[in-house]
Amino acid sequence: MKDNNNNTESIKTLIIIPAYNESENLPKLFSALIEAEGDFDIIVINDCSRDNTEAICINHNIKVVSLPVNLGIGGAVQTGYRYALYNNYDIAIQIDGDGQHDPKFIPYLIKRIKEGNHLCIGSRFIENEGFQSSKIRRVGIKYFSWLIKLLTGTLITDPTSGYRACSREVIKLFANDYPKDYPEPETVVTVLKNKLRVSEMPVIMNAREGGKSSITSLKGIYYMIKVTIAILIASISRKTVAEED
Amino acid sequence: MNMSGTLRTSLIIGSILFFVFIINMIRTKKLELKYALIWILTSLSFIIMSVFPETVFMVARILEVEVAANALFLCIIFLLLLMVFALTVAVSRQAIRTKRLVQELALLKAEFEEKNKTSKQ
Repeated sequence: MKDNNNNTESIKTLIIIPAYNESENLPKLFSALIEAEGDFDIIVINDCSRDNTEAICINHNIKVVSLPVNLGIGGAVQTGYRYALYNNYDIAIQIDGDGQHDPKFIPYLIKRIKEGNHLCIGSRFIENEGFQSSKIRRVGIKYFSWLIKLLTGTLITDPTSGYRACSREVIKLFANDYPKDYPEPETVVTVLKNKLRVSEMPVIMNAREGGKSSITSLKGIYYMIKVTIAILIASISRKTVAEED
Repeated sequence: MNMSGTLRTSLIIGSILFFVFIINMIRTKKLELKYALIWILTSLSFIIMSVFPETVFMVARILEVEVAANALFLCIIFLLLLMVFALTVAVSRQAIRTKRLVQELALLKAEFEEKNKTSKQ
């Protein structure tokens, strides 16, 4: 494959929006994205929504990939990374479809990747502004933060954040291998273990407006156990940098 | 050993029926031979055990288990664990393959529709 992206002007950026029944929130997100600075393409991964998510994307003239069966957040996001890989994007930015993430931070995330970071995570807990999640969730996030610091030596203040930008290396990594559910903390460890540079940037998140979070109180215990084991496994996994290319 | 005649006869008939049932499933392509091999072996061993119950006692002696029934349970539980684990491995492999297929299909479909749209304009 030809690669003529050596000059900084032709850097291609993709915004990946995983969406499952997000028809209430998407129109607002689209208008915020149009207002946001920067040159980027947008792709919505419609994870077999039962509402009119797909129609809303088409009406707004936003490209949408609709999965024929529901794959869960991990499978949907990975589809976006595969799209980014096949279409030779240099930077991919993942942003939730539920309106929690404000697109105005996109130019800063892009800048961080251009500065040589491989993964940049939008963190709520650097300046502690905006929606800070519930007390119990903050305890959980602190715990994952501590576990990741223990295993990799790097402090990540918001490992559960789904607002993140990736370089080409990480796009390749994620296109090949991405966890099925609750992927965020685990993938941070995978990237760190591959000796790639991870940084965080302060962002302000909003409380969810419509729909409901994928993590309910009933699933809380399963979530903690599953992610703990996933982080431990990721920390003893071998380097997985993509063989292709 | 004093196994009652009716119990023994019904065990023999049951195990033979089980064997015939499995062979028939394979013949009508409802079971993949690869996955059915273990079931053929299992049903054959049921036939052997019901026709020659001495084999169970022999196995118990070799395993140094006092009660023959316990030796039988031990063997069967071990076999079942192995089979369930093999199934978990198979399911995981299928899940990974299905995920990849769904993703590639969705991407291809989106690209196809995009091409269709531009060619109509």
